[in-house]
Parts: sequence; C-alpha cells; structure tokens
Amino acid sequence: MNAIGNIIAVARREYSTRVRTRSYIVATLLMVVAVAVIAFVPVIIRSVDRGDSERVAIHVAPADLKTDPVATLTTLLNTTSEPGQASATDKPDFIVSRVTDLATARQDVVDGAYTALLGIERSATGDLQFTLFTNANATGRTAALVRQASNTIAFADRLDQAGVAQSDQATLFVPADFEVAWPDPAKTDPIQDSVAMVGRDVLAFGMTVLIFMIILMYGTWIAMSVVEEKSSRVMEVVLNAATPFQLLAGKVFGVGAVAITQYAAIVLAGGVALLVQNPVASAVLGEAGTATALPEGLTLELLLLFGVYGILGFLVYASLFAAAGSLVSRQEDVNTVILPMTLVSTGGYLIGIYAATGLLDIRAGWIVALSQVPLVSPFMMLGRVATNVAAPWEVIVSVGLLVVSIAGALWLAARIYAAGVLLYGQRPGLRAIVRLIRVGM
Amino acid sequence: MTLVIDGLRKRFGDVQALDGVSFSIRAGEVFGFLGANGAGKTTTMRIVLGFLKPDEGSVTWQGRPARSWPRRTWGYMPEERGLYLRMPVLEQLVYYASLYGVPRGKARKDALDWLARFRIAEYADRKAESLSKGNQQKVQYIATILHDPDVILMDEPFVGLDPVNVALLKSAFTEMRDRGKTLIFSTHQLEQAEELCESVAIIDHGRIVTAGTTREVKRSTGHQVVRVATAGDGDLAWLRSLPNVTVTRPGVDYTELRVDTGTNPQAVLRAAMARGGDVLRFEVADSSLEEVFVERVGELDVEERTLAAAEARS
Repeated sequence: MNAIGNIIAVARREYSTRVRTRSYIVATLLMVVAVAVIAFVPVIIRSVDRGDSERVAIHVAPADLKTDPVATLTTLLNTTSEPGQASATDKPDFIVSRVTDLATARQDVVDGAYTALLGIERSATGDLQFTLFTNANATGRTAALVRQASNTIAFADRLDQAGVAQSDQATLFVPADFEVAWPDPAKTDPIQDSVAMVGRDVLAFGMTVLIFMIILMYGTWIAMSVVEEKSSRVMEVVLNAATPFQLLAGKVFGVGAVAITQYAAIVLAGGVALLVQNPVASAVLGEAGTATALPEGLTLELLLLFGVYGILGFLVYASLFAAAGSLVSRQEDVNTVILPMTLVSTGGYLIGIYAATGLLDIRAGWIVALSQVPLVSPFMMLGRVATNVAAPWEVIVSVGLLVVSIAGALWLAARIYAAGVLLYGQRPGLRAIVRLIRVGM
Repeated sequence: MTLVIDGLRKRFGDVQALDGVSFSIRAGEVFGFLGANGAGKTTTMRIVLGFLKPDEGSVTWQGRPARSWPRRTWGYMPEERGLYLRMPVLEQLVYYASLYGVPRGKARKDALDWLARFRIAEYADRKAESLSKGNQQKVQYIATILHDPDVILMDEPFVGLDPVNVALLKSAFTEMRDRGKTLIFSTHQLEQAEELCESVAIIDHGRIVTAGTTREVKRSTGHQVVRVATAGDGDLAWLRSLPNVTVTRPGVDYTELRVDTGTNPQAVLRAAMARGGDVLRFEVADSSLEEVFVERVGELDVEERTLAAAEARS
C-alpha cells in the first residue's frame, strides 16, 4: 500500500482545488493589500503630518524678562513623545516668533496666520500674567504645553526677582534622580521600559490573534470539506481507494498548506512593504534613508515560536475538526459538532491575550499551568515568552506535550473518522462516539 | 477462483442488518444481488470492501481474506453517486485513479477513451455539477473501473438512467466480463438481473433467501410457467378446472399458468386440443426472477419459523 503516495494525492487535490477558488484568491489579495497599507501607515502619517509647521506668536510686554520665552516655548512645544525621531532635516512642528503688536497679532490668530498667541504681562503684584489667545481647544495638547512653558518662564522670573543667578537656576532645574523597581525584592531583573514592553506585548498579541484565526478558520474549513465529501457521497468512492487515516492526513496537510500559502503571501507582502518603506519614504518625503530594521521587540526567537506554535496548534486542532466533521452529514450541523473545539480555542485565546496585554496576571500559577496544556498552549506561550516570564524549559516542555498530543489527536481522529464517514442520518450521541472510538465500525 | 461470503452477521444498534449471509460468486461472472431496500445489500457490499467489520463471518477472494488484497483489486460504485461537484470531470477521474496508483498520464488517456465511448467527451473539462444525472452516473462508472479492478461492485447501477444509457452501461458490463472481470451489482429491477446475470442471490431481512445460477434460482420454486392462447371465446373455466394448475395472469393475448411440480405441462396442451379449439400459442418456461422474488420473499415468514425451529433442534 502506498500510504504516503495517497496522503500526497489527497493533500494535492485539496490544495489545488482550494487555492483556485475565487473566494480564496480575493481574500488573500485583500489581506495582502491590507498588510501593505498597514505597513506604510507610518510613512503616510509622516507625509501628511509634515505639510506645515504651526506658527505660534508670543507678545512680551515687560522689558525686564531675563529668560528668553521664545526659546523655552519652542523647546517645550517641539518635544515629541518619540525621542530621537525628529531628525535634523525635519521641519519643527511649531515655529515660535515674537510679535510687537498684540492687537495685530490677535487679528492674525483670528485670520489663521498663527495657531495661537501667548501674551505675557506683568501684573500689579509683580508676578507674570499669561494669556493664550487661540481658536483651538483650551485643554488640548498645545494649550497644556503652553501652560507648562508659562510655568517654567514664571518660575525663572520669580527666581530672578529673588536674586538667584541664572547659573544657579540651571542646577535647580536639573531633573530629579528617579527610578522604577519591582515591588518584590527577590526580583532583580531590570524592569522593562514601556516602549519595548508595549512593542513585544502588541507583537505577541498580534501573533496570538493570527494563530487563533488560522486554527478556527481553517479548522472549520476542514470540517466543512469532510462534510462536503460525505454529503456528496464522494467519501465512499475514495474510501475504497484510500484508508480513512490517509484521507484524514491528506486533508489536514492539504488545507494546512493552503493556510501556509496565504500566510506566506501576507508575511511576504508585509516584509516587502517594510523593506521598501524607507526608500519610498526618502523618495516621497526627501528624508535621509535610515537602516531597515525589524519592528521593535520582534526577535527571531519570537518569530520562530510563532511558526512552531502556529503549525503544531493547527495540526492538533485540524485533526479534531476533521473527526468532528465526519460525525455529521449536513453542512448545517457542522457548527454544532465543532462547538467543543470552538469553545476550547476561544477560551484559550481570550485568556492568552488577556494575560499578554496585562488584563490578567501573566505570572499567576494557573496561567503558567494552562500554558502547558496542549490545546491551549499555542495561545498562551507567545505572550509569556514575549514578556520574558517563560523559562526556556517551559517552552520546550509545552512544545513536547503539543507534539505528543498531535499523535494522540491523529489516532483519535482516525478512529472517529473511520467510523464517522459512513455514518449518515442522525448525529451520534456522546456514548455512541465513545463506542465508535473503542470498537470501530 | 471465487469470492466467498461466509456467515456474515452485522448488528447496528437494535437492527440485525445481516443475519448469517453466505453465498459465493465465481470469478469472471456477472452476479446479481437482489433485494428490497433495507434488505442488507449495501451492508454486505461494504463488508466485502472492508469499510465495515462484520460481527461474525468472513469474506475471501481467491482463498485469501478480501481485505488483504491490494485496494486496486476492487472497484466500487456506491448507490448514491459521489462526485466532487465543483471539480472538472477529467481532473477528478485522474485523481480517483491516482489513489489506486495509476500513473496520471495513463489515467488521463484511459479516462478520455471512456468518456468518448460514453459520448460525453465534451464534458471532460466541465465541472461535474454541470452534467445531467445520467451523465454524472456514466462518469461515476468510469471512476469505478478506471484503475482496472478485478472485482467490480456496483450498488443499483441502473437507477435513474434512460434506456439509451442503460444499453450503453450494459454493453460496458459485457465488455468488462469479457475481459475476465467479476461484476457484482445489486438491483431491485429484476428484469435487468435476469438479462445480465449468470448467477443471483436474493436477500431479505439480512438473510439469503436463495442463491445460485439464474436458471437454478428460477427453477427453485418447483413450478413451471405455461403461456397458452387458443382461438375461441376466451373462456378460461376449462383451464381453472385442470388439476395442479393455477391461472396467474389471465390475458386477452395469452394466459399464463403456473404448473405445480410433478405435473407435466404437456397436460395443458392435451387439454386444450381435447377441447377442440386451435392452439395459437403454447410455451413452457421457467419462472421469472420477479415471480421467484415475490414468492420467496413473501414466504419468508414460514421460512423464518422453519429456520428458528431448526436452530432450536441443533
């Protein structure tokens, strides 16, 4: 018996008929376009953003101001949340200029020549008084930054009044020595800085979503295709030629290859988009190209584990989906019979992403235990690896358990499949299924 | 050189689907497996093919367990037609054959030959769903025999075919038999079996009622059939008065009689001539399979009682 040949023949048919369907081609193209667009979002945002710098006017009434309010305001307004992003060739977000006539400048703000106008006066008490003239939100980011700058200017002015020398002021404004540490004294590893942490979290989150989508979408597909063969009665024809195990394995591998093709197209599109992003950005925006790099937090280790958990998770679920599909003979019954797999995978997925994004404590004992359970580990382990809370041996054990469970799932599925494929009419109850597994048909 | 089916029993829940089914089929013959729906035909075939395991009993082909032969030994056409509806005809024929290890090139060439013979060559690249039921059935037959199996099992092959296609399929059967293949088909259309089969078995409620060569089975009732027509008034009273003779089909054209075992049918002819009229037609024949079927399956209750008594004694 040429078992391998038959598995390949079944997988080949499954693959070649599926990748040619219009719905598959359209869906893949849409996803490729979506990924490319998402990858280019930073460039698009930058190209939209850079159009015009906002102009802010400043009117200083008192002549005895020692600090330069223009410099203070310029520095504060142009502080971005991403340090190091603003390169020398970048236009600043805000251009601050001093005006001499307050009334004219106010009219200019009304006309839109300036975004805002800051008026500085000295009140009767001798303190500085600030007024912001703007059409924009009174509590927006610009207003908040201007308020902060005003405070700084006012402090400096008060110190001047008190007779503190400018040079002494510099030391006064040196930022405090500030540190964040673990509450648990036993923990000595450095706490993650927020940018890197968010980056890895989001990546693990995204990968978990992808694994869940692959498993649920293609798993359902496999169950549907088994039922299709049953309802069209092709099953009996092919059953004479190939064993149930060969049919099952061929189907799982064939549909798996379809899934891999789709994801390869998406990853390729994303990769190409990332690679050409900088050249395109420099061409469009006239910026100096920077070296291409993987996104923040995307390590080779994480990518590899994504592949491993994605493929192994798919294999274990796909066998079970195929077995479930073999128990019914009408498409309408598919959703009912795959419910156990849908529930388990959705549960694992939700816990996994809640843990990865910090809604659940990823160090909790039950999460650690669950991340070893084969049907759940594909959704849990990436989050734990990404947040550095999984030891290497934990990953190895969970992968090992997953591999063992695939063998178990294939064996179980082949037994159910062998009996189920000839079952027509009423859906068998749980007891009947157990009997089928034990004694066969 | 036979397919031996020996003592098959199979129970599905509360239903005893097969209850000691035994018969044998000689290699190279066309065999008819007759029975009503639910009699156990499909279950028997599925056991022969190894899809189902019998609770008891065995199936051997050429002296070896049927399941131990390579899969390409068997061709199977299930009762409900099974084709991938959205797959082109030729492509799926090649696929089925490739599962039996037939090289794709050869499968393609043979499939095209068969499609041409069945006058559906122009559908080779069409999806199966665009074909009529009859044409789908022809494709199904090609799928059954494309890998050149030695034993071909077909479940109700003639259902749903028009007379032209029935004739095409019959000639294909004959050709396969001439090539030395063994053909087994189930049917409830008894005239098809009578025309094609060298041997038959009748199954009812999971038991073989009778099995043997078609002639033996037809004679198994012990009756003979006489068809007689005389010039005259069509008065049948004289026929009804003959001993051991029953009028089964009174007709204008001719009258059909059943003559019990031990009575010479010639007595009917002598009686007709003695009556003085011209005898226009006189024919002695075996019972038709249909008559055998109706009679034997109808008698099953008696037989069941006898069997039960026999089992009780042993």
